[in-house]
Amino acid sequence: MVRVVRFSMAAALLLGAALGLGAQSPAKPGKTDPAAAELVRAFEAKLDLAGLDVTNDFTLVQKKEGEADRVLRVRVYRRDAAETFTLVFQYPDSERGKGYWRSGADLYLYLPSTREFVYRNRKDDVGSTDIRTDLFGRPDALGQFWATMAGTAKVASWECDVVRLDAKKLDVSYPVQKWYLRRGDGLPVKVENFSAGETLLRTVYYVEYKEVAKGKFIFAKLLSTDALEKGRRTLLSNEGITTARIADYKFSKAFLEEQSR
Amino acid sequence: MRYLGLAFKNLFRSPKRSLTLGVNYAIVAFVMTALLAFARGAASNVSTSLVRASAGHLTVSGQYAASGRVYGGMLRAPEVASIARRELGEGAQVLPRYLVRSAVYKGGLSKRLSFTGIDASIDRGFETQMRFSQGSWAEWAADPNGVALTEAQAAYFGIGAGDELVISLRSRFGAFNTGIARVRGVYATDNYFMRDLALAHFAFLRGLDLAPEDAATAIYAYLPRASEAGAARERLEAALAAAGFETSRPASDAEAISAVSAASIRYETDKEGRDRVMLTLSTLDEVLGLVRSVLGAVSAVGALVAAVMLLVIAASIFINLRMSVNERLREIGTMRAIGVESSAVSGLFVLEAALLALSFSLAGSALGALACLAFRLAASFPPGGSLAVFLDAGRLALEPRLGDMAAISAAIAAFAAAFAWLPARRGGRVAPVEALNSAF
Repeated sequence: MVRVVRFSMAAALLLGAALGLGAQSPAKPGKTDPAAAELVRAFEAKLDLAGLDVTNDFTLVQKKEGEADRVLRVRVYRRDAAETFTLVFQYPDSERGKGYWRSGADLYLYLPSTREFVYRNRKDDVGSTDIRTDLFGRPDALGQFWATMAGTAKVASWECDVVRLDAKKLDVSYPVQKWYLRRGDGLPVKVENFSAGETLLRTVYYVEYKEVAKGKFIFAKLLSTDALEKGRRTLLSNEGITTARIADYKFSKAFLEEQSR
Repeated sequence: MRYLGLAFKNLFRSPKRSLTLGVNYAIVAFVMTALLAFARGAASNVSTSLVRASAGHLTVSGQYAASGRVYGGMLRAPEVASIARRELGEGAQVLPRYLVRSAVYKGGLSKRLSFTGIDASIDRGFETQMRFSQGSWAEWAADPNGVALTEAQAAYFGIGAGDELVISLRSRFGAFNTGIARVRGVYATDNYFMRDLALAHFAFLRGLDLAPEDAATAIYAYLPRASEAGAARERLEAALAAAGFETSRPASDAEAISAVSAASIRYETDKEGRDRVMLTLSTLDEVLGLVRSVLGAVSAVGALVAAVMLLVIAASIFINLRMSVNERLREIGTMRAIGVESSAVSGLFVLEAALLALSFSLAGSALGALACLAFRLAASFPPGGSLAVFLDAGRLALEPRLGDMAAISAAIAAFAAAFAWLPARRGGRVAPVEALNSAF
């Protein structure tokens, strides 16, 4: 019995030492909570625009302490059913003509100065802001994360269910996330993104939604705040949202090239 | 030999002319000696500094493919290190390191720093190059989360020993990870290649990068003699291939530099679809290839300048020798009359020209070497300036060499002899009676 206790203590000490040594590895729950999964499926169903073509204009305003605000305007053409989108920079002039084209898992950045397409992975930043390109596209959290319930919380005046997502593999930008889902309609109002070591890196507030089709929503305003670099935040406004059919050629490299001529 | 003595006696027959020409030779020799001293010193300094900071005599780096993706760095690093120690012998030092480039946050400020993770128990080469103004090597070595920053880095964040930093990076797999590091030392260094080096522990950085236990960015091997690197690489390649690793050499100087300095990068898709470890073995010469090319270009420009100066002098040599021959026609006639061959007469004049060039260029080279040594001792430069890469402990690395001085002097002498030959030949061909009776 004494030997078992000693072994257990030694194992606990070793485990504690391993966990405390330097940088951290993520905790892996290993399974998804059905209640959490249901909540995730529900909001993804509302945000899933598959079957729709969506065109919209985004204005990004990036604020950093001690620096002038940086403004970017982009136009996005989305066809989530085909897992494709085209994003074209329209403002400022120094960025005009640049763009992204995604087709499936391939993401390309087009540089009009050299007229070349640079391959990126899906997690590239839009114009070096806090906004990632995987924001545009079909959500699929349960494919990449384990989901568990993490209690409730109040965000602004809304009561929210909190769902914690833990990455199944470490190839997602934020391996730990907490989604605050509004109880009234199940839409996310706040997302906290953590590193593998569970340090808060970024908080995204979904301030406003717009219904583009029955039961289908797209965010109209969001605010992203950097937790490490205090004072750095990005405000994203989504305007001119239409669901008119988009010509097929707009989902091509040729279209991107054409925009810079 | 008898003509040698005669040639020496005639060196200053016309002191003004000899001196004018001689000073020109001396200036060319001085400039070339200084240029070569600079090029050699720079190459040697860069090589030494690089070896002491971020490159080995032999550097093993590479990529590995696992589960359909190719990642930067290597797996099975302990095995690679063990094979290297066996193949390179007891006199070699084999040091695994982990390189990471990440953002550091403190007090609202952020900056991207290059971290080098080492095993402090075996990798002590940095210790002698760091002058700690805060903390110490021992304090850093004792703390697994400890980092040692340069004074500039510490000043940027306004921190000192004992302060904590948040380090955040995008790991090799794509996920962000963070860690808390404690500043255990703030240091200054004279090594140009260490001026941006933030030192951390190997295990800390590997964990931050979410890398497997047997991963490393690179393994640096230091041999008893750098000249052995080529042969050592061949032995190591064979041994690694036998152990199942794929090995290659850098295809270009740029690839060699990238191999020794690349921090972990995001993965790429594996087109071959099989797990494997691909190692690149670079020698220091390959890493220095670009530097040597630049310095070679500097030397070439110097040689071009010297050649232009000598060509300008060439006309002077020609005219001077013609005048000399003309003045010594009676002497030529006398020599021919007593049986000296025409070729011997010509040879005497060529010899005189060559000896004049040799003696003054040797003097010029010697002066150049002394000037280099004096400048090296007397002048010191700020470590952070534009000359930093050429400085050794704050002084310009100038290495004049006897071999270079001898070669420069010999080249100038040969040049002088070549341009003296034509007028000397004409002088030697003058008929004895003509030489004795008339001007040339």
